Amino acid sequence: MNILLRLQELFSPLGHLVSYILAYIFESLFLVIFVTISLIVMIYVFRKYMARVQQRIGPNRVGKFGLLQLIADALKLVGKENILPRNRDDLPYKLAPAMVFVSLVLAFTILPYGDFFYLGSFTVTHSEVTIILLFGIIAIMPIGEVLAGISSANKYALLGALRAVAKDVSFEIPMMLSVLAIVMMASARTPSSLSLESILSSEFLPYGILEPIGLFVFFISMVARASYTPFDLGESDSELVSGHSTEYSGMRFGMFYMGMFGSIFLGSLIVSILYLGGPSGPLESSLGFIWLIIKAAILVLISFTVWLSMPRIRIDKFINFGWKYLIPIAMINLILAGIITLGWGL
Amino acid sequence: MSSSEWVELNFGPQHPSMHGVLRLKAKLDGEIVKEIEPVIGYLHRNAEKICEMTYFNDNLIYFDRMDYVGAMNMEVGYLEAAEKLLDISISERVKWIRVIMAELSRIAAHLVWAGAYGLDLGMLTPFFHCFIEREKLLTIFTEVSGSRQEVNYMCVGGVYQDITEKAISEIEDFVREFPKRLKDIFNMFMKNDIFLSRTKGIGILDKETAISYGVTGPMLRASGVEYDVRKAEPYLVYNQVNFDIPVSYKGDNLARVLVRFEEMRQSLKIVEQAVKKIPEGPYFNPKAKKSLMIRMRGEGDVYARTESSKGEFGVYIVGDGGVKPYRVRVRSPTLKNLSVLPELAKDVMIADMIAISGTLDLVFGEIDR
Repeated sequence: MNILLRLQELFSPLGHLVSYILAYIFESLFLVIFVTISLIVMIYVFRKYMARVQQRIGPNRVGKFGLLQLIADALKLVGKENILPRNRDDLPYKLAPAMVFVSLVLAFTILPYGDFFYLGSFTVTHSEVTIILLFGIIAIMPIGEVLAGISSANKYALLGALRAVAKDVSFEIPMMLSVLAIVMMASARTPSSLSLESILSSEFLPYGILEPIGLFVFFISMVARASYTPFDLGESDSELVSGHSTEYSGMRFGMFYMGMFGSIFLGSLIVSILYLGGPSGPLESSLGFIWLIIKAAILVLISFTVWLSMPRIRIDKFINFGWKYLIPIAMINLILAGIITLGWGL
Repeated sequence: MSSSEWVELNFGPQHPSMHGVLRLKAKLDGEIVKEIEPVIGYLHRNAEKICEMTYFNDNLIYFDRMDYVGAMNMEVGYLEAAEKLLDISISERVKWIRVIMAELSRIAAHLVWAGAYGLDLGMLTPFFHCFIEREKLLTIFTEVSGSRQEVNYMCVGGVYQDITEKAISEIEDFVREFPKRLKDIFNMFMKNDIFLSRTKGIGILDKETAISYGVTGPMLRASGVEYDVRKAEPYLVYNQVNFDIPVSYKGDNLARVLVRFEEMRQSLKIVEQAVKKIPEGPYFNPKAKKSLMIRMRGEGDVYARTESSKGEFGVYIVGDGGVKPYRVRVRSPTLKNLSVLPELAKDVMIADMIAISGTLDLVFGEIDR
């Protein structure tokens, strides 16, 4: 039972088609609210955590313990004037932040969240090929960054876009290779091994324990994709001012900002679903969602710690790392996964 | 790619890592910096010319505003020259107080540099840890002078007020606690492989180039030249304290980082000895009272050099027998150190250019004056 069917039940007096359409709309709305609230909580936690690491106090003025600080910030961003560069390429310039944010929210619709008491699962889209869908949607986000860099008629932004392309090309491959290993292992135990839900149901041990190398490669690729400090080459603030988002202001900038935190959260969710068992935990029954969030939160905190303690890596060393170390390691991982699969098949 | 296809890109004057108002005109071939030209003058305030219009004693505030992160080094530099020209002697106690304050300022300046260098490389955290330590120093400065940054503590003939017991105990506390904190900050940099990969072997400045460009201070010592004005031509009471000059022979970014960190430890050593040795005596020479300002006349020309946190800080004063200097000229160490940047940042990546310019320890109050 999931939230979609619950809603459909609620609207069923209105007829079959109308009730399904309404249920989809409400569930999508629900998900957007979930994503927004979790991002706000995450940014608040990040700022407090950063303040602790740096021996500061952090936001404490707006609301109790500064809890409303992020809402105040968001209101400020919405109220700000959108400064548009004169030589911009208008359509892509305005499309880019939306592309980043919309593809981020879309990716959240596919993940299997596990049950949450009476409501059931939050997942909107059910499909047999969710993995392909998920990584297809994730691949849209860098296009938004590149468009932003090219269309804002700024040399810093252009350099940032070039770096973003180089980064994404060299880190999508190890990421996909380590996902492939999981699909391979799942295929020995389930007929529909491209669906996240059946991968989850097929495991007897979390895949992170079966293949820690894959977890390592995938987590690093996710860090690189989310582009925070060791790998924030696209928007390296001490070199390229703000990279591809240099010319953006107001809520358009806010979308890039949310996009970055959103991809950290998304990455942590995907890692915990694929490698750490996702919604499964000691107390089965209806707490799957909570387990998933706890696992993701731990990964998010690890990401923040990495962010706050590392300097930025240089672009050539970064790409070397991707091609010369991560891809071979991912290949070895694939071979190991094949051996495990064969073992299961026998 | 031919040179006509290089992209020209301005870094600064408003740029997150340009330490004030440096502007770098860079020619880029993709990610590679082909040529670089520093443009200065955005903070020019005519300090040297203004000094010709004011009394010797009042000039000090313009020197405070030169190297504003370590202001008392500048005061010592000016007073070395001014007191020689005006022929005013200072007591032993004043000399020791000045040494203590100059060394504490040096630590404060190096802490600002360390924090800002972390920011240049994308490390946010060390910045705050450095500034927490610097805040303790600024509290000491407030205790002795009443002001935090541009302290204006010293004056011709002595210091503005005597150093109190409370200030001395605060300094002793700082000396006791700082080494552990410095070690933490040091480890934050040095135990990080990415930091080492960004600094080791990058921006190598060899000995000959350094000397021919007039580079001084920690940069010169990181290139293997054992030259420090405090040892070569001791002023104040530097010949009575025991300290070492850190020297590295590598000449790269990492060497400059290490030399600066070691200098902080040596400065602490000096302060530790000076606090014990500080004698009783007058803190001010009554010959230089403010009401006697119009009697303080100097004739001739004097050049005095001191070791500021950035390098050799020289002050040249010409007096024509009047109550105001006829001409004041400052040899700014940072300007000379900056002039070597086009040589260092040639055919390097943008990220390395930022990493190199961070190790020059630029403070624009002093370059533009």
